[in-house]
Amino acid sequence: MKKSYGKFIALVALVALTLTYSCKKLLNQEVTGNLSGAVLANKAGLDGLLIGAYSMLDGYTNTSGTEWEAGIDNWIYGGVGADDAFKGSNTTDQPTAAPIENHTLDPSNEYISEKWVAFYNAVQRANDVIREVPLIKDGSVSASYGAEAIAEAQFLRGVFHFELAKFFRNVPYVNETITYGAGNYNVPNPGPIWSSIEGDFKSAMAVLPKTQSDIGRANYYAAEAFLARAYLWDHQYATALPLLTDCISNGETAGGAKYALWANYENNYDASFKNGPESVFAVQMTVNDGSNGARDDPGEGLNFPAGDYTSCCGFYQPSYTLANAFQVDENGLPMLGSTSMTVQDYTGSNTTTAPVTANIPNSSITNLPNDHGLTAANEFTPPTNALDPRIDWTLGRRGIPYRDWGICGGEQWSRGDLCPYNPIKNVFNEAQQASTADNNGGWATNQGTSDNYNMITVADLYLYRAECEVEGNMLSNAMADVNVVRARMQNPAGWVHTYVDNSNPAAGFTTTPAANYQIGLYSSFASQSYAREAVHMEEQLEFGMEGHRFFDLQRWDPLYGGPEAAQYMANVINGHIAAVTRIANPVLDGHTFTAGKNELYPIPLGQIDLEAGQLKQNPNY
Amino acid sequence: MFKSLLLKGRTLSLLLCCLVSSLVVTAQTKHTGKVIGADDKLPVVGASVRIKGTNTGAVTDVNGDFTLALSPGNVLVVSYIGYVTQEVTVRSGDFITISLEPSASTLNEVVVTGYQTQLKKDIVGSVATVDVGDAKKVAATSSEQLLQGQAAGVTVVNNGAPGSPSNIYIRGLGNFSNTTPLYVVDGVQVSDMSLVNPNDIESISVLKDAGSAAIYGVAGGNGVVVVTTKRGKAGKTTISYDGFYGDQQPLSGNVFDIMTPADQSIEAFRANDVATEGLYLNPSGVPTAGYIPTYGYHGATAYTGTDGTNFGVAGVTSNPEILGAYHFDANVPGNDFLVQQFATGSGTDWYHSVFKNAPEEQHTITASGGTDKSTFLYSLNYINQTGTLLSNYEKRYQARVNTNFSVGHVRFGETGDATYRENIGGYPGDEQQEAGIISYTYREMPIIPIYDVSGVNYGGGYDGPTGEPLGNGSNPYAQAIRNEQNHARFVYVEGNVFAEADIAKYFTARMAFGGRLYNQYYNDINPTTYEDYESHANPNEIDEHEQLFTNYNWTNTINYKETFGKHNVNVIAGYEQRYSTGRELNAYNTGLFSLDPAYAQIGYGTPSQAPTSTNEQPVAIESFFGKLDYSYNDRYILTATVRRDGISTLYPGKQWGTFPSIGVAWRISQEDFMKGISWINDLKLRGSYGVAGYSANVPATNPYSLYASGPGASYYGINGGNSSITQGFYNSTLGNPNTTWEQDKTTNVAIDAALFNHFDLTAEWYKKESSGLLFGATLPATLGGAQPPVVNIGDVVNKGLDISLSYHDRISQDVTFSIGANITTYKNDIVKETGVSNFFDTASNRDNDIVRDEVGHPIGEFFGYQVTGIYQNASQVSSLPGYAGAAPGSFIYKDVDGDGQITPNDRTFIGNPNPNFTYGVNLNATFKQFDFSMVLYGSQGNKDYNYTEYWTDFYSTFQGGKSLRMFNDAAIVSNGVVTNPNATLSASSFAQALGSSTTSSYYVQDGSFLKCRVLQVGYSLSPSVLKTIGISKLHIYAQVTNLFTITKYTGQDPELVSSIDNNGGGAPLGIDYGAYPANQRAFIFGANVTF
Repeated sequence: MKKSYGKFIALVALVALTLTYSCKKLLNQEVTGNLSGAVLANKAGLDGLLIGAYSMLDGYTNTSGTEWEAGIDNWIYGGVGADDAFKGSNTTDQPTAAPIENHTLDPSNEYISEKWVAFYNAVQRANDVIREVPLIKDGSVSASYGAEAIAEAQFLRGVFHFELAKFFRNVPYVNETITYGAGNYNVPNPGPIWSSIEGDFKSAMAVLPKTQSDIGRANYYAAEAFLARAYLWDHQYATALPLLTDCISNGETAGGAKYALWANYENNYDASFKNGPESVFAVQMTVNDGSNGARDDPGEGLNFPAGDYTSCCGFYQPSYTLANAFQVDENGLPMLGSTSMTVQDYTGSNTTTAPVTANIPNSSITNLPNDHGLTAANEFTPPTNALDPRIDWTLGRRGIPYRDWGICGGEQWSRGDLCPYNPIKNVFNEAQQASTADNNGGWATNQGTSDNYNMITVADLYLYRAECEVEGNMLSNAMADVNVVRARMQNPAGWVHTYVDNSNPAAGFTTTPAANYQIGLYSSFASQSYAREAVHMEEQLEFGMEGHRFFDLQRWDPLYGGPEAAQYMANVINGHIAAVTRIANPVLDGHTFTAGKNELYPIPLGQIDLEAGQLKQNPNY
Repeated sequence: MFKSLLLKGRTLSLLLCCLVSSLVVTAQTKHTGKVIGADDKLPVVGASVRIKGTNTGAVTDVNGDFTLALSPGNVLVVSYIGYVTQEVTVRSGDFITISLEPSASTLNEVVVTGYQTQLKKDIVGSVATVDVGDAKKVAATSSEQLLQGQAAGVTVVNNGAPGSPSNIYIRGLGNFSNTTPLYVVDGVQVSDMSLVNPNDIESISVLKDAGSAAIYGVAGGNGVVVVTTKRGKAGKTTISYDGFYGDQQPLSGNVFDIMTPADQSIEAFRANDVATEGLYLNPSGVPTAGYIPTYGYHGATAYTGTDGTNFGVAGVTSNPEILGAYHFDANVPGNDFLVQQFATGSGTDWYHSVFKNAPEEQHTITASGGTDKSTFLYSLNYINQTGTLLSNYEKRYQARVNTNFSVGHVRFGETGDATYRENIGGYPGDEQQEAGIISYTYREMPIIPIYDVSGVNYGGGYDGPTGEPLGNGSNPYAQAIRNEQNHARFVYVEGNVFAEADIAKYFTARMAFGGRLYNQYYNDINPTTYEDYESHANPNEIDEHEQLFTNYNWTNTINYKETFGKHNVNVIAGYEQRYSTGRELNAYNTGLFSLDPAYAQIGYGTPSQAPTSTNEQPVAIESFFGKLDYSYNDRYILTATVRRDGISTLYPGKQWGTFPSIGVAWRISQEDFMKGISWINDLKLRGSYGVAGYSANVPATNPYSLYASGPGASYYGINGGNSSITQGFYNSTLGNPNTTWEQDKTTNVAIDAALFNHFDLTAEWYKKESSGLLFGATLPATLGGAQPPVVNIGDVVNKGLDISLSYHDRISQDVTFSIGANITTYKNDIVKETGVSNFFDTASNRDNDIVRDEVGHPIGEFFGYQVTGIYQNASQVSSLPGYAGAAPGSFIYKDVDGDGQITPNDRTFIGNPNPNFTYGVNLNATFKQFDFSMVLYGSQGNKDYNYTEYWTDFYSTFQGGKSLRMFNDAAIVSNGVVTNPNATLSASSFAQALGSSTTSSYYVQDGSFLKCRVLQVGYSLSPSVLKTIGISKLHIYAQVTNLFTITKYTGQDPELVSSIDNNGGGAPLGIDYGAYPANQRAFIFGANVTF
């Protein structure tokens, strides 16, 4: 018995010893495979957090695999939601995108939710930078270095909030005080936040240098240009004007290049010319970088012709309305004013046609001939109509060289609800495929590019200033600014030319224009309203297929302070719908844009639910 | 081991009874007698022998003998627990031998509970025991399936994929995410029991209430399944073989009710789908409803036939000239010109292209034996279940060694197994996802042939007109064949070693160390799917994954056991540590020259993304626990437990919790006033209350805000280059230091009865209040993209009844039978949510969520629009509440909020997937050497959400296989008026999702079912015959599994596993994403042989 008790005591002692040793150590496991906040409290950590905020510019988030719903290019919201383009692909592909195209969007739609979530994610990444600076105590970050990091973060926070304000107008402004720990995250949306956005850009301007070590960083002029843009959306034209003038006169890129228009318009859409003198601020895109296509303009991953050199996905097909807008009069000027247009209606079957007439502001008189309804075997000759040369850098048409890929197949290259036009601005050159393209997400072959997405270009600055000058009734100044942008296109070297050998595009181009290109300069702006239409149309033409159109129409609409006539946006879009219904996309059949409602996107229902009554829905949703 | 415990029990009873009887026995005429068991002919120790109508009696001694003063004519009432009470009339002074028939009552079963074994009669908490013999009649590759319908209070939902895990709910759906009970296999706490060979299982008990599970503290809140494996028995070494071979048969008929290609062409015209009408060109090139052209083709360049016909790049034709263009280039798909011949008639039966008859087999050889100092059991097990779905299988090789040794006061031993397992790459059950093979059996159009005109290359959506009228599905047969190259291989080594010593009088100390080491390797090979329109030229791809996980349990207990007079005391106290960790490595590559598995490896292609590795955050749990079992006079029983757990996944200060329980029982039948009621063999009332916890839903790093870094998530090309990116960081998760465990308070009231010598009943009522349920916080986007922490999000109450009944009888010498039935009910109610709103939505489909968890409703209830009809004409559209896009032929939805329009606020609760009750019935009968058994399982009142109809019933969803329901029941609109007023489905049109395919009551069906899981007939050869060939036992049997399923559900199987949703995440109950059916029939022949 004695021996047994000895064993007992030994065992108890062993257990007791183990307990005292292990209790603390066992339960307090070091965090593995992740960084704690403390590890980042130094210069390298701060730099990394700031890069993490920049990386949100493209809208690709750490939380979502549906980057085309949130991408910065806004193809669906800015283009398809307006009159630039159709959703494309099959009618049934991306069914939740269809309500954006036909304006039946309800607040539970996943697309708008994704956009909201991605850009508030971005806002908080900028806030993470601002919150981190005061935590750095190791001496690695000087006061001025910290201030500049904060200024860049404020710039980004302004950009991100601006993006949200364009969509939803009434959005919460989330600054660095909003945290989980503080429990103050149900931020309300009592109204527009232009002044907060402007405040961020002003603060950034006060600190940012004019040049930066990295070309992708925001500089003084980028902040000034964004501040001006915010004033434009805020309809403070007089305040914006001197900022734009300063930018145009004195601006330089973060790399130190004086702001200027490229001689060739298409350089803005070519990765080998990215970050040139025309780029005021761009989202940097990269390929073959180990990110599996996350950094290659992923928002546009679906927006390649489904035809030949990629096999997917045929979204974002340029509209008839956009193509028609490039028709010019005998002076090479756009056909301004509200006119009737007659187009073929393929109701019921593509073999029976009936003409339909629709009022389409800012558009041409007849439908630009195209290859709709033709097969590959049918002959098609591109029309000889006089056209603004920007058309063939903006959309792919059958019979016209499609960059260096060969003669565009038109409708044969599109997918699903067939449309004769193909996206081209986001497409790379075949010769540069190895260095400027990769596979988006490993599935969409050759559908990522390293071509930047331009947020503001020098051409924007001129046309924004022209808007300010029109509203300030300085019509000749406005005309001069519009003509600066147009004059660049008068150089035939910047037009699309025919191939030396159609069967071998790699052999290069001739000097023969690929179509009947005509572009003239305005000689007079007869009235303020004429001038306004001219400037607005110029923005449609210059920035077609760049995701701006919806938001431009919205700010020009008088509903929220714009200068155009009542229900301007609704009229433009309903005219577009009336003209194309049953030609291109049955998704649009029978739908209309509702004035007083569809100018804004609805606040995502899920967010309204989550904020427990703090978020108010936009009107009429 | 159990027998020895039983003997101990008998000895104990003897002691007790001696005390009692010594007071009452008086000397008359001495008679002696003996009581033996009719089953084993061994003495029954401690049996009560009473003279009827008196208080005079005796208790048998260790030899089963008794002595009583008797007079002739006296009637002796002889009773012992577990035996039928017998009355014997004394005739003379002869020695009397009384043979007691076993009553087969479950009350004297030895039951393994937390850290100990107990006699069932002494148990106070709610412990269900599974009859392993019944349970393992159902051939299972995943042993959780054994539990289905075998224990009241345990709801099991099976998946049919070989090796795929089941969902198990003990006493209802306990929380919003993982509700898996704790498994304790041979004393080791593990996450599943799927790999335990059914033939190795000695016992399974399920601890259902906190009274029994609180001993497992923070791990026991959702119940505990305690499994022990067999051990060798002292005596002759036996070798036995158990095995079966079977043929599984897939569901037959038109499983998804897919319409024919010709019908589908008619639908295209009904829908005015101009782009797709172009597929159905007649020889004159005119789109024609019902006309199927002969060939579809697609190439890189236009083809001109010898007769001068220009076919163009892609299209359809009936001209065989096109065959001249056929060209396939495996390495450069861009050069392809592929042609396929369309399927006519009923079209390609995609379902049965991949679902075929498939064999399954399982073999176990067991050797066991030993001496009174040591015992052993070795078993070898081989399982090979080929899925009825092509390229789907589960192969397993397992060796088990269980040994016991005793040296003086010390006993030691181990249980352990090593397992090698192989199945297809990916997670078993993946096939049901949106891009899974099963989903493609209805998503791939039946007009598409399995092979194109070459006879070796696959047909698909590529070979046809541009614009993709052939849909974006994928050839499921091709996918299945390609899957054959995807392997997952696992090695598991697991077990437990223990040492136990009688360290002092009444004290036993035990230490055990056990755990699992687990290594998994899997690869995926994805060839270029040249047959698909969408990814015709995608580069091929391979990826490889390696994982290593380890965990251990270290348990130390001291047991004190003593009897003072009528007082029995048993105390166990212990200390335990658990720890788990792991690592993973993943690598990817594209553009390999060849995908031959012998060649393809990482390094032979272009990296598409950087390799990744994951360091799993270790999880540690440390615990102290104690349990007191006290009984007085074998009538009044008290059990109290307490456990204190500390968990590393919670923040310091929140890590420690205490989990107490208490229970009492009263064995009324032992009371003297009950002794005269002969039809009550045993009757016990019991009740318990306790608190257990559950922390499995807390991620290991939950308390801490963390930052991460990744090229996709946070790098940026800040320097403007084409390919250079700079590292960035981002806040990846928000921490919550306040999170604590889920607390489960259970009240249990029960009655156990053994009646009429043949009938056992256990009925239990429980109320389980779960508070602080753990779930990821849903936070507004204003907080950014960091993963929200898991928080204590809400409270749920489950109430229900568990009833189990069994009846067993021997009708004659040749016929015995038994019936076991159990029924489980639970009512599940969310009573509180702590978030800003009182609900959250889960379970995504392509457009919307399907489930809303809201206060006042059960977990997992479906939430969407209530369909009330179809708009018949334009005036209805304008007069009834409507929505943007509403048109004649669209669904009419109920205007729930009455505001005159249909908005998201009109979504409402449209179906509860929780059953009213589930039930199981086991029937067993023997006739001479034949045996017969049947296992039934049913579920009543549960609703199923048939999400497959999203794809098959609506024209506005992706082009693909469409259902006959669409063809027959969809509204047909002509000139703005619905021409078939009885239509139940929205019109075939591109009307938007809100008017057709959005989450609505259309998808909700009654999912009640009754399945005959097994019908078996067996035959045991007579021992005398066998003896001559050296076999002691031989039983052969034939069985049919899933002989029938009675249900109104229109999908494959109303029993829907909940683990996989559209995107591979967790989803609640009852949503049919095209699940692998668990109701396929199989014919099985098997044998059990003992040498």
